[in-house]
Amino acid sequence: MNMVLLILSIILIATFGLSNLIYILISATTTYLAARAKKHKKLFFIGTIILNVSILVFFKFITYNNFFNLIDSKNILVPLGISYYTFQVLSYLIDVYKGKIKPVTNFKDYLLFVFYFPYLIIGPINRYSDLSKTLYKKKKLEKDNILNGLIRITWGLFKKYVIAARIGLIVTTITSNLNYQGAYVLFALLLYSFELYADFSGGIDIVLGFSKMLGIILPENFDRPYLSRNLKEFWRKWHISLSSWFRDYIYIPLGGSKCSNLRKKINVIITFIVSGLWHGINYFFWGLFHGIIVSLENKPSDNYKTLKIILNFILVSLLWIFFIYPNSITSFKMLITIFYKFNYLELFTNILNLGLNIPNFIVLIITLIILVISDIKNDKLKNILYNNKDEIKLIFICSMILIVLLFGVYGLGFNTNDFIYSKF
Amino acid sequence: MKKFNILIIIVCFLILFIFLNKLVAPKYQTDLIEGHMISEYYKEEKNHEVIFIGDCEVYANFSPMILYQDYGITSYVRGTSQQLIWQSYGILKETLKYEIPKVVVLNVNSLRYSEPVSEAYNHLTLDKMKWSKEKLDIIEASMLEEESIFDYLFPIVRYHSRFSKLTKEDINNMFTDNNVTYNGYLMNKNIKGVTSLPTKKKLASYTFKDNVISYLDKIRTLCESNNIKLVLIKAPSVYPYWYDEYNNQIIEYANNYNLDYYNLLEKANDIGIDYSHDTYDGGLHLNLYGAEKLSTYFGDILANNYNLTDFRLDNDISTIYNQKLYVYNKDKGDE
Repeated sequence: MNMVLLILSIILIATFGLSNLIYILISATTTYLAARAKKHKKLFFIGTIILNVSILVFFKFITYNNFFNLIDSKNILVPLGISYYTFQVLSYLIDVYKGKIKPVTNFKDYLLFVFYFPYLIIGPINRYSDLSKTLYKKKKLEKDNILNGLIRITWGLFKKYVIAARIGLIVTTITSNLNYQGAYVLFALLLYSFELYADFSGGIDIVLGFSKMLGIILPENFDRPYLSRNLKEFWRKWHISLSSWFRDYIYIPLGGSKCSNLRKKINVIITFIVSGLWHGINYFFWGLFHGIIVSLENKPSDNYKTLKIILNFILVSLLWIFFIYPNSITSFKMLITIFYKFNYLELFTNILNLGLNIPNFIVLIITLIILVISDIKNDKLKNILYNNKDEIKLIFICSMILIVLLFGVYGLGFNTNDFIYSKF
Repeated sequence: MKKFNILIIIVCFLILFIFLNKLVAPKYQTDLIEGHMISEYYKEEKNHEVIFIGDCEVYANFSPMILYQDYGITSYVRGTSQQLIWQSYGILKETLKYEIPKVVVLNVNSLRYSEPVSEAYNHLTLDKMKWSKEKLDIIEASMLEEESIFDYLFPIVRYHSRFSKLTKEDINNMFTDNNVTYNGYLMNKNIKGVTSLPTKKKLASYTFKDNVISYLDKIRTLCESNNIKLVLIKAPSVYPYWYDEYNNQIIEYANNYNLDYYNLLEKANDIGIDYSHDTYDGGLHLNLYGAEKLSTYFGDILANNYNLTDFRLDNDISTIYNQKLYVYNKDKGDE
């Protein structure tokens, strides 16, 4: 089964272009060999990290973001999942070097850890110590795993195609025309918060659900992030695998919290700036602002919890501005319009010209309510679904398929198959 | 999980799936009615001695009711919007599974196109066509790059966004429908005479592409093997889209294979077409008045050259056609 999974992953990666296979093989081979080096360990360790980070930097900044305008990047394709597999192999190598885990002896096993296809599109970034617990287990298809996996997949499809793609129509309409300012920008930002969450977490649901069907447990990447009381808490619940990667391999090596208060704040800000830059050069200020605010925050209390959650949601939404406009200058300009252009009445009268008609708005409102309730009542709903009779699970799966087919935004004329985070 | 319960859930799922597919699929009853034409043939008595195949130049220009009324010819127009030559081939193959006519009339206008042109036109031709190998072949040959086979297999995939625009027609006509044509002829009584014409464009090449000719060959051999007389026509239109170079290639092809070719473009005066009155869209297509003149003219050619039966003398068939004529004339008088 593992061999089949490996071969399937190789074939799928190759279908996106043979070069993808070559780059991921370079990462896998170099880190596998460096982790097993008996002599000159440090040299191999540093050399391999520099090599892999260089490849990542080359593709993310020099080609994709064309940071220095050095080359014509149009014909250069960024290797599929380069961020995810690079972070994954680096964490493996660092953990081996630090003695936290033992190096993998079987190259085939290691290849499966790196090549395992589902995570390459959108994550999560896996740690070898976690993934190896289920990845190499003897696999057999079990009814419970299949049903629970399908529940997760169809829920992910619902979030992606019914919620995120529908919101995307409005957000794209507003952000593609800079004459939409003030209230429109705020409206777009609030909606984008849901779009990004539904799109990203929906994608992760699909990846986790598919893995679950095979009996492979991948780490959760979201834990109801918009129910956080401040940004510090938000970052413990949003894109958990990336946040924890930056914590373990950037923030802690910088000194973490075991240093002076000022240095601790600087470490936080640096970590968030690196996180911003990882997204792209245009996200520098996004990382900087998050870093500054998180460094100034204390542990949140439970007083005025709902108000704090709402305020934090608005804050997070405002900072997504760097995700919806093409560059930082435009983002700042449009952000400022929110505070002086009070065209809320105009927005209200023009709302049906933003890409959705009344039935679509009704679907959007209902599905957003479902999304919010599913987060608030997450544990209860999970318990009801996953621990219920198989018949109930099957009804849920069939219903979700029909709902996605009917109310999803997909197909000809809609470019909704890509996940927002797959470009990172 | 009890097997019986699984079965019930899956059956319910399938019923709902079929229901939703039916619900969102366009019904083509009042809007884009051209999409309904292909399906009306299946409800017909299959007793036609002449079958027309081709694009809008056949379904707008030839009236089988006039062919019957004036000459007793039983005919059907299996025309669809911008029917491409491989679609004509597939539709003819499908037709021959139901009946073998004496004459197949092919409008050669579609030979101008060697590649799929429009997703919308593909659907007008294919949505209401019965599932068969021919339909799958047409889909495969007609799909544009951005299309998917699932768009054709399951209407919900292509038309799910119609959920927000459903009308009473979508409910009322889920399982029943009404004819919009008269033996495949789409009546249009509007009058919009020629006021201006597009300029004649220079083309890089005037030679029909090999794939187009290969389908014409297939249609010819299919007719030969079924002992059907294939007649090539070019329907009249004042739009300057049919070049002399095209015409010469068809003449040469017809000569090579001993086929009859009637370029009715050149016969507009003989037919009596008045382009200030007999067209509904400024000269591209004929309206009812032009179509009836053309049908009378062409019916004479068919009746005198192809040994067709005068079915006005056949009790059974004349009963059917007289009823059809009654409806046709009644609808004509509604103007």
